[in-house]
Amino acid sequence: MTNIFEALGAGFASALTLPHLGWALAGVTLGTAVGVLPGIGPALTVAVLLPVTFNLDPTSAFIMFAGIYYGAMYGGSTTSILLNTPGETGSIATAIDGHMMARQGRGAAALTTAAVGSFVAGTLATIALTFFAPLLASVALRFGPAEYFALTVLAFTAVSALLGASLVRGLLSLFLGLALGLVGIDPLTGDARFAFGIPQLLDGIDVVILVIGLFAVGETIYQAWHHGRDAIEAVTLHDFTGMSREEWRRSWKPWLRGTAIGFPLGVLPCGGTVIPTFLSYLTEKRLSDSPHRFGHGAIEGVAGPEAANNAAAAGVLVPLLTLGLPSSATAAVMLAAFQQYGLQPGPLLFSTRPDLVWTLIASLYIGNLMLLVLNLPLAGLWARVMLVPRPLLFGGILVLASLGAYTLNRSMLDLALLYVVGAIGCAMRVYDFPLVPAVLGLILGPLSEQHFRRAVAISEGDLSVFATRPLSAVLLLLAAVVLAGPFLMKRMTNMTNMNTNGEERR
Amino acid sequence: MVCLAVALFVAAGVSPAAAQPAYGHLRIIAPAAPGGGWDQTARVMQQALQRAGLARTVSVENIPGAAGLIGLARFVGAEHGRGDALMASGLIMLGAIVTQRSAVTLRDVTPIARLTGEYEVLAVPSTSPFRTLDDFIRAFKARPEAMSWGGGSAGGSDQILAGLIADAVGVSPGRVNYIAFSGGGESLSAILGGQVSVGVNGLAEFAAQIEAGSVRVLAISSAERLPGLDIPTLREQGVNVELENWRSVVAPPGLSAADRRRLEAAVEAMARSAAWREALERYRWLDRYLAGDAFARFVDAEEVRVQDILRKLGTSPGAPRTLGSAGPYPLIVLSGLVLCTLAVAIGGLRAGSTRARAEWRPVGLIAAGIGLDLALAERAGFIIASAVLFWCVARAFDARHPSRDALFAAAVSAGAYLLFGRVLDLPLPAGVLAGWL
Repeated sequence: MTNIFEALGAGFASALTLPHLGWALAGVTLGTAVGVLPGIGPALTVAVLLPVTFNLDPTSAFIMFAGIYYGAMYGGSTTSILLNTPGETGSIATAIDGHMMARQGRGAAALTTAAVGSFVAGTLATIALTFFAPLLASVALRFGPAEYFALTVLAFTAVSALLGASLVRGLLSLFLGLALGLVGIDPLTGDARFAFGIPQLLDGIDVVILVIGLFAVGETIYQAWHHGRDAIEAVTLHDFTGMSREEWRRSWKPWLRGTAIGFPLGVLPCGGTVIPTFLSYLTEKRLSDSPHRFGHGAIEGVAGPEAANNAAAAGVLVPLLTLGLPSSATAAVMLAAFQQYGLQPGPLLFSTRPDLVWTLIASLYIGNLMLLVLNLPLAGLWARVMLVPRPLLFGGILVLASLGAYTLNRSMLDLALLYVVGAIGCAMRVYDFPLVPAVLGLILGPLSEQHFRRAVAISEGDLSVFATRPLSAVLLLLAAVVLAGPFLMKRMTNMTNMNTNGEERR
Repeated sequence: MVCLAVALFVAAGVSPAAAQPAYGHLRIIAPAAPGGGWDQTARVMQQALQRAGLARTVSVENIPGAAGLIGLARFVGAEHGRGDALMASGLIMLGAIVTQRSAVTLRDVTPIARLTGEYEVLAVPSTSPFRTLDDFIRAFKARPEAMSWGGGSAGGSDQILAGLIADAVGVSPGRVNYIAFSGGGESLSAILGGQVSVGVNGLAEFAAQIEAGSVRVLAISSAERLPGLDIPTLREQGVNVELENWRSVVAPPGLSAADRRRLEAAVEAMARSAAWREALERYRWLDRYLAGDAFARFVDAEEVRVQDILRKLGTSPGAPRTLGSAGPYPLIVLSGLVLCTLAVAIGGLRAGSTRARAEWRPVGLIAAGIGLDLALAERAGFIIASAVLFWCVARAFDARHPSRDALFAAAVSAGAYLLFGRVLDLPLPAGVLAGWL
């Protein structure tokens, strides 16, 4: 343990100089600025910005990487909250309540809880990374296809928190997403499914298209259709400064819970940020004393997922550094970047190049702090975006949405698809269908199918693997509890009410 | 933003201008998302070309999709006759061309050179009961389906090697229980965690694990043992198979002989440069430089071999379908969709929806904007199409300020175009304004 402190101290010593702090600030600024742009997810942000670091010495470069990485991860939340345009999958959950808050003039509070939550989660996760990385990585390897399948089943239960008023409408939305998820090459066999001979469809429908289409384009058409030209509700900003005492009180527990959910799931070599963010959203709604506020601007629904997102981003570095496993596109780009400096992530990294590793880890702490320093004052400024006259705001949103869809693959088909999805999204809003289950279906459906089929192929068709492997059994049981929990609770409260109120209740 | 522009400018202006560079600007297409082998190849080329002073600036454009097929199709179509564009390609693209019956193939581009090669290895975790290749092959021959082979995407180099090995030891490749994982990280973790019986992967991806002793490598797919690596080849252990995952660079079709020679010369000079050699070592790529007609003949031979083995593996069209190929999942999803639709239809679509005062004029305006955007984006260029879209949408909400809206529309569109195209190297269609910008 003392060794770790000494090594980390040395890392800080080499990272904490004025020029290095300058590089950290430049990194978070660039990372956030590019990460904010629609259609440029964290992987592309890091790839585009990497050349900037080519001419730096390793220490400065790592400090800048750390800043760019965390900045890119954070950047998506700003557009999610203000414009309802999540640029990457990790900030979809944030958009649900974050954008409602912005519409109510509480955008600054939403951005602040996102920034502070990211900082808290990032720092705690980096501490966990510092001390337990090798241990965590060995546990993560016990996750095979059966466990991943069970995890996706657990994630599917999050849909129950997003159903809205009608079960069947929520399910239809979910199945729509699942059906869209069928399109493309079946990754296990290489066969094309439902691609209708269109090569651009071979890779399936991009989640970003569905999200931006349903949320941003659908919302714009809906607003025009519903409110027309005159009934424009002006947004008044309630708070330029940030969060009220009440909002702090409501936020700190979700930050911690989000971290606890996000970090371990980020460590899994097949983690990603969607599952932790939605599980965090589900947890907050389930634990809340007033679940009805969710979907209408509950700050917990922003604080939890944002913390989970950043904690997962730090978790991704655990398998990357200790095993050399890039578990996301962003991590793969980072891996290439490390190799530029002769840093070969893997089991021996901590013993062969301790100087570089500990400098990098120290940089993560610094980058995280810089992100907070940069974004706290900006929250109030960004929130003023909502004051832009609505014709210009919606015009801008649609141009940004089209830009995001086109840059993904530079394909006109994606652009056309975006508008089709937008029309569907508008119709869904008019007829009161929840939008998020469709997104979850598109993301989780293919994952869940692939892991299921991999597990069954490995077991030569024996379905009992899901029950006999302990981790998978526990996860499936947990999913059952989450689904049945509210129902059982209701039954129990009904029973007690029956006993106390007698025949008054039917 | 100014900061960003400055930083990127500094990064772009690296090249120590030795002599007059052969190219002012050179574009390299990476037909894959950031992070993969082709993306790395393209970005290493970018650096090497700049550092060697062969081009003043080099940009990398990612066109991901369908194992490189989308990038290939775009390259053949949009870059025809352009002497300042290159694209990364390789064995995996060949596999995808076969499995997806692609209309565009590597015969449609101008071959420039093979650059690098990576050998494949067969590995097990250090805790595995298989100590040698013989142990594994014996178990595989006894019950082929009980052995799961973990590796990268279906139809890729890992699965090709699995098929070649099965074929060589006399087991029908169709009986290989190959588990395709998406991405190197995912398959590597399944192998390290002992989730599969044996793993097939590129040597470089295993390098750190081999050094640490956490995996045992049973065999390597090279013809002879590699210097400095104590790994027996497949061939010396009686399995007559050799495979390398080669990566190459190609140019657009329809080049003049002079343009082609110029590109070949630049790539050759790059492949000899110190920056390139340094990168080969860093990424543990083998130098497999092969240019001109010899390279073209090599590609033809590989195509025949890949086609044959993929047919035997059952991943190419015309092969007998295995039971698990489609599965019942699509059926479940589609029937769920139909059932829910019926339930909603019976329950009444309107129920629960808020009674809205519909206004059709603004929706019509937005629809017009969208239609014009789609029609104009590639013809008139991004700036004009987006400005029209912006203006229509703004007018849908408030028609009182047409000139203000037009001003903002032009400013936002032009700003976005310049930011993406010039600063971030993510080009948007220029259209009719191309000459002006």
